[in-house]
Amino acid sequence: MSDVSLAPVGLIVLPLIAAAVALAAGVARERTGWAIAVATLLAEGGLAAWLANAVYRGRGEILHELGDYGRPEEFAVGIELVADELSAIVVLLIVVVSLGVLAVARSTGPRGNAFFGAFLLLNGGLMGVVLTGDVFNLFVFLEIVGLATYALVASDRRPDAAVAALKYLIVGTTGASLYLLGVGYLFMATGTLNMADLAAALAGNAAFVDGPLYTNTLVVAGFAFIAVGLFVKAAIYPLHAWQPDAYAEAPDAVTAYISALVSTAGAYAFARIAFDVFTPAFFEAVPAAAWAVVTLASVSVVAGSTLAVTQTRIKRVFAYSSVSQFGLVVAAVGIAVHPAASPDAARLAIVGAVVHLIGHGVIKGGLFVAAAGLARTAGARTLDELSGLGREAPFQSGAMAVLALSLVGVPPTVGFLGKFYIALGAVEAGIWPVAAVILLSTVLTLAYAARFLERLYFTPRSAAPSAGADAAAGVAADGGENTAADGGDAGVDAVEQDVADAPGASLGLKLALVGAALLAVVLGFAGVEFADALEPFVTEVVR
Amino acid sequence: MVEQSLRPLAAVLVSAVAIALIVASYRHPNVRDSWSVAAAVAKFGIVASMVPGVLGGESYRAPALAFAPIPGSDVTLTLALEADALGVLFALLASLLWIFTSFYAVGYMRGLDEHAQTRFFASFAASLSAAVGIAFAANLVTIFLFYELLSVATYPLVAHDEDGEARAAGRKYLTYTFFGGGVLVLAGTVLVFVLADTTTFGATAQALGNADPTLAKAAFALLAAGFGVKAGLMPLHSWLPDAMVAPTPVSGLLHAVAVVKSGVFGIARLVLEVYSPAVVADLGVGIYLAAVAAFTLLVSSLIALRQDHLKRRLAYSTVSQLSYIVLGLALLGPTAIKGGLLHIPAHAFMKLTLFFCAGFIHVETHTDYISEMDGIGKRMPLTMAAFAVAAAGMAGIPLVAGFVSKWFLLIGAVEVEQTIFALALLVSGVLNIAYFWPIVYGAFFESPGEADSKPLLEGPIGGRFGAAAAGTSGGPAVATDGVGNGADGSDESASTSDDSGSPSTGTYAVDRNPSDHLSPEEQERRRREAAEAAEAEATAEDESHDDTDHHDVVHDDHGHGGTTGDWEAIGWTGKEGSWLMLGPILAVAAGAVVLGVVPYQAVFLHLIEEIVAGVAF
Amino acid sequence: MTLIDLLATRYAYVLFALLVGTGLYMVVSSPNLVKKVIGLNLFQTGLFLFFIASAYVEGGSTAVIHGEGGGPYVSPLPQVLVLTAIVVGVALTAVALALIVRIYSEYGTLREDVLREVRADE
Repeated sequence: MSDVSLAPVGLIVLPLIAAAVALAAGVARERTGWAIAVATLLAEGGLAAWLANAVYRGRGEILHELGDYGRPEEFAVGIELVADELSAIVVLLIVVVSLGVLAVARSTGPRGNAFFGAFLLLNGGLMGVVLTGDVFNLFVFLEIVGLATYALVASDRRPDAAVAALKYLIVGTTGASLYLLGVGYLFMATGTLNMADLAAALAGNAAFVDGPLYTNTLVVAGFAFIAVGLFVKAAIYPLHAWQPDAYAEAPDAVTAYISALVSTAGAYAFARIAFDVFTPAFFEAVPAAAWAVVTLASVSVVAGSTLAVTQTRIKRVFAYSSVSQFGLVVAAVGIAVHPAASPDAARLAIVGAVVHLIGHGVIKGGLFVAAAGLARTAGARTLDELSGLGREAPFQSGAMAVLALSLVGVPPTVGFLGKFYIALGAVEAGIWPVAAVILLSTVLTLAYAARFLERLYFTPRSAAPSAGADAAAGVAADGGENTAADGGDAGVDAVEQDVADAPGASLGLKLALVGAALLAVVLGFAGVEFADALEPFVTEVVR
Repeated sequence: MVEQSLRPLAAVLVSAVAIALIVASYRHPNVRDSWSVAAAVAKFGIVASMVPGVLGGESYRAPALAFAPIPGSDVTLTLALEADALGVLFALLASLLWIFTSFYAVGYMRGLDEHAQTRFFASFAASLSAAVGIAFAANLVTIFLFYELLSVATYPLVAHDEDGEARAAGRKYLTYTFFGGGVLVLAGTVLVFVLADTTTFGATAQALGNADPTLAKAAFALLAAGFGVKAGLMPLHSWLPDAMVAPTPVSGLLHAVAVVKSGVFGIARLVLEVYSPAVVADLGVGIYLAAVAAFTLLVSSLIALRQDHLKRRLAYSTVSQLSYIVLGLALLGPTAIKGGLLHIPAHAFMKLTLFFCAGFIHVETHTDYISEMDGIGKRMPLTMAAFAVAAAGMAGIPLVAGFVSKWFLLIGAVEVEQTIFALALLVSGVLNIAYFWPIVYGAFFESPGEADSKPLLEGPIGGRFGAAAAGTSGGPAVATDGVGNGADGSDESASTSDDSGSPSTGTYAVDRNPSDHLSPEEQERRRREAAEAAEAEATAEDESHDDTDHHDVVHDDHGHGGTTGDWEAIGWTGKEGSWLMLGPILAVAAGAVVLGVVPYQAVFLHLIEEIVAGVAF
Repeated sequence: MTLIDLLATRYAYVLFALLVGTGLYMVVSSPNLVKKVIGLNLFQTGLFLFFIASAYVEGGSTAVIHGEGGGPYVSPLPQVLVLTAIVVGVALTAVALALIVRIYSEYGTLREDVLREVRADE
């Protein structure tokens, strides 16, 4: 049987090829996009399961050198793909969320092979971000992710979406370029782009360096640029401004997808570079870096929640909520590498960061799917329009309620598990202000999450503003038939036709939604599995 | 000895299973409600089956669930349930009273033809599940989990009415309980774990005693405050009076028995098992907790005096009585702790009776305000008799439950040489009489037309100087509902014109008779303003009452005399209303008496002696 | 190192800083959307210049082995990086311009402040 080290290659290449196939097939026959996407993702699921099995049940880190150039003088020449415990779990998340979103996109649209081509491209890019072992390759894949996302945000051809996508493009490209600049500085300082080699060079272990380079101006500046660039991608305050517009104006299925995965990829990249390239040793040599990270993250937690409370449109509430939640993840990363953190604290913080990263992906994706479902069922786009839907759409509302409570951090859901570990790490490390912010985030999140519960269940339906006009706007966001491949006219007709009737949520959507809610609760009990799975990675980082 | 058993888990899960059954049978009200009763009986049965073993010193442990392994070490935080004497005390109380409350709730909800009954009963079952989970939690992580689930499960009950007031009360409730639980208790749990490497009850005391005192004190404060939110310690108590918008079965069982007692229970676990009284005494934090408790019990009694809404008065009374328990625990002496713990069941029985009576009165006569309850003893004799018995117990009259626990508390305070707390308890007892006696007296010995005035309710804070209002035979100026009291009407204007010196409306005498140094126009203007203000006061719904919410009283004659005449006289035969409600009232009142007469044989005191015997002083 | 020395020897880096600064300034302050994209390109071009300049080796030869010995070889890696980054930049510019075309056809303006007004009116 083939070598499992081909699995990372397959995971990246397969969706990229499938994207091209989808576009090509679109010339011959429309409407084949969904089937191609599902087939690809099922194949990816198989590869991911194979990879995860290998990583967690025996071999540990899986390494694949592209082009097989070898390592002359212990120095990687080509690009390496690395699948370790952290990558494998994010790969699984990507596959699961992709399949869920496909179930939703079948009915909500957009349709058309061009959309699914971009979708698969994004999928491939995400896999690339997660599996690469080279910092420049990371930049390329981040840009692929970005490009595909800009296209997807604008994919329903609404002008508002185009503006949001352009804003995202400009800010995102600036961020990625800053990341590139950081990579350039590191390259100048060490001469290598491979993550493992960079770590060795920075630590002073390579033959061509004498002594650790942590306090080298180039290296510190490089870290600063890389951090800022990745914070733009992960939407940390105050670099988050692109996110609310992009999430709100994108088609519903797209929002669910990008909220669960794109910022997750950005946060993953930051975690990877902080843990494996710079390592806690760097932060010990440059404590200011660690303090800057935790401070900015804590501000993000508070600011994101505060801004979320003021919003009236559902998708914007969730968008700001993401700012806050990623603040938690970055804070956990910061605590894990902080010089004041004992090894115990660092370990707890790493586990917390990963659990919350995964958990948030599931929860936020589920919440946006719920928003999509309720928009289709009752035309509800703002909080006021949710009034009384607890009775009209019981399963969707119930799932949304469970996911909202999970976001707040009610045990025993996964939202609590992640936060718990992070709080344990912060208190163990003795970084009291950050610990206080993490603990208070429960109440801050409650401030905007409880409004959903209140609206759905305890406000009579009559309190909703007339849903008619908004149903039209809600349906229009779906776009239906509009993608680049089709002519524009068919799209306009379809939208006008859909105005009259709210379509209702499909079975696929409901299944995906309930599945997300169940997963959020089940993962809450999976603390043992998370900790065991991550243990090799944790011991390697916290040496 | 620890016995492995599934019974603690079964006790928690039996009502969780009932949730599904209740929701499934939403179309058949009788089936649905009988699931509630069945679950209550089953839960009580399971808990009661553990009592003999626990009295013999055993405890029952259910298999633990590994929840959060600590990477890099062998320690794993688990979710564990263990039924020991303290846990069984709370669980027994909650499950027993749930049986009565189920019947009562059925009668209440049907009597008012309430909406969303399925959601109501399902949430109730969930709340009891969480409450028993709190009782049997074997470590801080588990108690935290059920604490949060209790907040979530009781929220639908608080916001049940779905109007603006209920939603506002719900929001406040969620904010307070999630702040208390999600922030403070979690912070304390995390800190305890960091200091002691475990959160299991009973295993942390030594490590906490040896740890850095600042951190240990901080952890104690965090946990005490976190549990104190639900236990109604001031100033974190204000969610409780607002939560009275919930239907009365909720106010009764949850906000007098399950939810608030879970807060007190948390403090009991904190003092007795997380820290142990010896360590608390070493750290010197007990005195602060006792001071807060004493403050709470005095101030909330004072506030209760001014409440006209019966349920709000009972709410403040609850806040006060809960602090008896906390005070007993904080005094750290064996007798004081005994008294505090005994007050848990004692207060539960008495307060539940009182709430049941209030709810019954609401259902049968739509009366919520004390000022309208004069003479209601004629209409609802058995109810008011039960009320009187329970009120007597609250004040500490012998033969009813409250006396025994108070006795222990007083002796306990003297025993640890903190006599000032005994004094506080005595003052509170007097205040209890002050706010319960008028209700009982008014119900039995007065009638609507000729009731005495209630200066505590009507008068401004700080009292009134000068001649009392002329013709005070008129009814309280409060009930200005425009219905126009025959005999009172003429007196009303007289009394309001005498109602000088209310600062909020500016009708000082100096305004009604402005000084000569002012210009004539100015004098005229002031005179006019004063007259308008006085008028506004007479016609407006009472705003001079700070804490009493102004009520719009919709009278429909349910045999309601109120201000339109006397109450219909019903004999002592139980015809005053549905037996679904009257039965539980009488049963729980009888329970309060039994607990007062034979506390030891009634199991609870025996359990408590078992608990205290196992504590390290 | 005096300014003259800086300009004489490390002029490429000075230029890089200027380009990056100008590009960012254009992105931030220019009201015209196309000019923002131009600024973005300028910013990226500055980065490319940085990579190339940092890889310059005085007297070096291309990384092709002629068989005659050859002096110090210039590392081909930065050039490859820049090529890749240029391609990425081109793709991004293409998408940005496509979006701008869409915006223009819908709103009839390329100015961001006018755009905000028009959108607020909707």
